[in-house]
Amino acid sequence: MATDKELSDFLKSVEKRAFKRTVYAVRSDDSALDIVQDAMIKLAEKYADRPAAELPLIFQRILSNATMDWFRREKVRNALMSNMSDFDGAEPDGDFDLLETLHAVEGSLGAESASDAVSRAQILRLIDAQVAELPGRQREAFLLRYWEEFDVAETALVMGCSEGSVKTHCSRAVQALAKALRAKGITP
Amino acid sequence: MTASSRSTDRPAVEARLALRLAGSLNVTTGSLPPEVNERLRFAREQALARARDARRVAAAGAHSTVGMSASGALLLGSYRPWLQRAAAFLPLLLLLAGLMLIQQWQLREQVLAAADIDSLLLADALPPTAYSDPGFAEFLRSDPQP
Repeated sequence: MATDKELSDFLKSVEKRAFKRTVYAVRSDDSALDIVQDAMIKLAEKYADRPAAELPLIFQRILSNATMDWFRREKVRNALMSNMSDFDGAEPDGDFDLLETLHAVEGSLGAESASDAVSRAQILRLIDAQVAELPGRQREAFLLRYWEEFDVAETALVMGCSEGSVKTHCSRAVQALAKALRAKGITP
Repeated sequence: MTASSRSTDRPAVEARLALRLAGSLNVTTGSLPPEVNERLRFAREQALARARDARRVAAAGAHSTVGMSASGALLLGSYRPWLQRAAAFLPLLLLLAGLMLIQQWQLREQVLAAADIDSLLLADALPPTAYSDPGFAEFLRSDPQP
């Protein structure tokens, strides 16, 4: 059973990422805060007796479900519905060189001078914006797999899809981000 | 780098790039507005308070089960939720039983009252048919002879 401290530490460690992930999905700070709060309370009420090691997976699942519930409510109210399509975006370009983009990103983010710091901040904002622009399922897979650092099986469990789908979503997300960054001039 | 080695390394490069991009999100997430941080802190505290309540309720439930005798726990322990649910319907059942009892009692009172009237009519010297005789009704309305 997770102790109060373990639960508190876990929530503290995850709350900002959870908020950001939800903002990407619902595009509203207030709604995202409500959703994260609901997810936290549900975790605390229903699963506080579970071992601390199980909390991350359970919390992400609750958060995903709470976000889906929000979309359902919004749909009922005829509000703006974000694109949650599975297979949006172009097919990955086989000749596209990810290594070049990786070097460009590593070079840009590793910069140290004052002018480089400004450009670094711009690149961070750009990456943030491009992640927000990803199709919903791709973004969710990308964030769970590489930001929350879940493995493929855990990501599939949270998303309620197959491991193959997770790999496809992640790959497409990375391709799309790399392509978008190159289009914005992030090159080695 | 050859085309074949590129295709072999592709998943690794993709993963490295993904981790680098995801890592950069930590930087932007670290600088959230203070009001957002405050609301997240409030949400966390609310959640922790609920967790404490849930634990307290669970502990109280466990304690009440432990408080029973061994045979009582054996007998009632596993049926406790069922009994609790059944107990919720007990007042309703009592109310229905009471209403049925009152109805039966009133019916019995009516029957007894009718029986009393019938027995008085039959025991009287005046035959019951006299009450349907118009002449007798007129006799009753008329003034008694001086």
